[in-house]
Amino acid sequence: MPQSEHFSKQYDSDLEDVRARVLQMGGVVEAQILAAIECFSSGDTERMAEVADTELRVNAYEVDIDDLCVHIVARRQPAARDLRLIMGVSKAVTDLERMGDEAEKITRMAKLIHDRRGMQIPLQAEVRRSGDLAVAQLRRALDAMARLDPDEAERIISEDALIDTEFRGILRQLITFMMEDPRTISTALEIVWVAKAIERIGDHAKNIAEQVIYIVRGTDVRHTGKERRRGATDEER
Amino acid sequence: MTSAWIIFLLRLSAIALLALIGGAWLGLAAGLALACAGLLLVVMSHVANLSRLQAWLKQPEGRNLPDAWGAWGDAFIALHRLRRDEEKKRERIVADFEVFSQAAEVYPDGLVFLDADDRILWCNRAAESQLGLNGESDRGLLIANLVRLPRFAEFIANALPGESLQCSPLGRKDLDLSLETLRFGKDRKLLISFDVTQIARTEAMRRDFVANVSHELRTPLTVIAGFLEHMLAEPDPDPAASRQQIGIMDGQARRMLSLVDDLLVLSRLESETYALREETLDVRDLIFDVADEARRLSAGRHSITCEVQPAQLKGSREELRSAFSNLVSNAVRYTPEGGRIVLRWVLREGRGVYSVEDSGIGIAEEHLPRLAERFYRVDRSRSRETGGTGLGLSIVKHVLMRHQADLKIRSEPGVGSTFSVEFPAWRVTSPLA
Repeated sequence: MPQSEHFSKQYDSDLEDVRARVLQMGGVVEAQILAAIECFSSGDTERMAEVADTELRVNAYEVDIDDLCVHIVARRQPAARDLRLIMGVSKAVTDLERMGDEAEKITRMAKLIHDRRGMQIPLQAEVRRSGDLAVAQLRRALDAMARLDPDEAERIISEDALIDTEFRGILRQLITFMMEDPRTISTALEIVWVAKAIERIGDHAKNIAEQVIYIVRGTDVRHTGKERRRGATDEER
Repeated sequence: MTSAWIIFLLRLSAIALLALIGGAWLGLAAGLALACAGLLLVVMSHVANLSRLQAWLKQPEGRNLPDAWGAWGDAFIALHRLRRDEEKKRERIVADFEVFSQAAEVYPDGLVFLDADDRILWCNRAAESQLGLNGESDRGLLIANLVRLPRFAEFIANALPGESLQCSPLGRKDLDLSLETLRFGKDRKLLISFDVTQIARTEAMRRDFVANVSHELRTPLTVIAGFLEHMLAEPDPDPAASRQQIGIMDGQARRMLSLVDDLLVLSRLESETYALREETLDVRDLIFDVADEARRLSAGRHSITCEVQPAQLKGSREELRSAFSNLVSNAVRYTPEGGRIVLRWVLREGRGVYSVEDSGIGIAEEHLPRLAERFYRVDRSRSRETGGTGLGLSIVKHVLMRHQADLKIRSEPGVGSTFSVEFPAWRVTSPLA
């Protein structure tokens, strides 16, 4: 029946389109975070304004994709994997949008830090490194979404602990800085915000990886430990 | 008429003849029965051959091609020949394709074939590493899903031939790419990515160089011009003050002179036609000489010692002396008073290693890769007050390149630095060996 074939082809391309747009949005957010981290290192005020402008684009993407998802659900009533794709994608969009907010937060803090001229900025290299790590996690999560590769997604989830460890390390070192020299307190507090934002970006990347597993395998791995992901039962925990 | 028809008609007439003879001899019924049996036999032989053909077609190998008598045999032989020709043609096409894809595989620029929807059909190794693709597993995926650079999706969808996109892939700041697309076949696209990192870097270096030279030459000139203006305006200058001003102007003029000298040395070192003068030098003399010069520069503020294993080194005396002394004078400049500087020459597996170790201010790791760039300065204000031209390490690097030697820098901020130079074994002769 040519008509139903046409129908399903259109449907496939709608689903493909949603996924493509989410990944495009991911690219924009990734570039935004990279720019934000760059601003933190360099104090470049022009780039800061750029990051803030990108925020508008990210928000537009979110609205647009949500709208598409609602349309597909209403018109096609997707089932099984298609439904999971729509659900997973719309959750990933929320994560991406939050990441954009965190990027903006980083630039806001960067502005405050760099406006206080002449102050030594402690732990700049460490913060940068953890930022690069978080962006790499995001990139891998988006790659896993593009390739629908749950194995890679699992690896991403297990490596999120690395960023958390980095964050705790930065926090510990900042505390010693503040104790040694109380004049650094306000700068150090702003760096805590930056580091926290980076840590949150890592968490959101992990959420996206979880959605990939959900889309492909249909298992919900949120709020479960490593053992559960590997399939051990509750009694063993 | 084909042979099949002739054979068929011959058989038919043989059956008819047999049936006629049988009919005349044994009666009409027997004649008809004979005709039927004959026709049945013909049909059965055809069916048998047809079924052998069908069996063969399931596994069309040349070896087990059925053999048959008559027209079927001819047909089988023709089929066999056809198949053999096809096989040869296919082998040739496969071989040609193999050559093309191998050539494309090793092509230094990235190549990606895309279909009408911009899905990946094939990509080569350069494209894999430049764009982060996987040629095996990413076949059939939308390229914009994997290359998520914000401007890329629009570019790949709408780019006109000749239009190019300059970009660095996300997270690859070290890589500058220039992307172009070509259309071919029906709706097919070829995405080409050129690695322009080196070109972009050279361009940036050239720009920086011109800006830096102008700046470095301008600074002393400004000082001199300022004093001259002052002197012209002053009808009756105080001789003591003028003397001091002339002293400063003299210092600045010398600074400019040494800068221009260094620039000339660099440009001579860079010109390919300028041949290396090979002499055999005594390393001990050279290093002691350099150390003496450094002691004069230090004026007793540092302890400068030498640890030298006797050896001879082949190379240009003038150039090596300038490289060795540049490294030592850097150590003197960047080591606070009371510090210690050690010049070493050791033989390591036949190779000669010259090193200068100091207990100076050290260099942070991020500066190390750029240290030998012209006018690169870790700290602008400090290096100018120590009187360097900013070209010393560039000269060292060029001299060492001409002597096939490597420069290695190890440094820790606040602790000190070690610059070591390793000469290849064939340049070094040891009196012990």
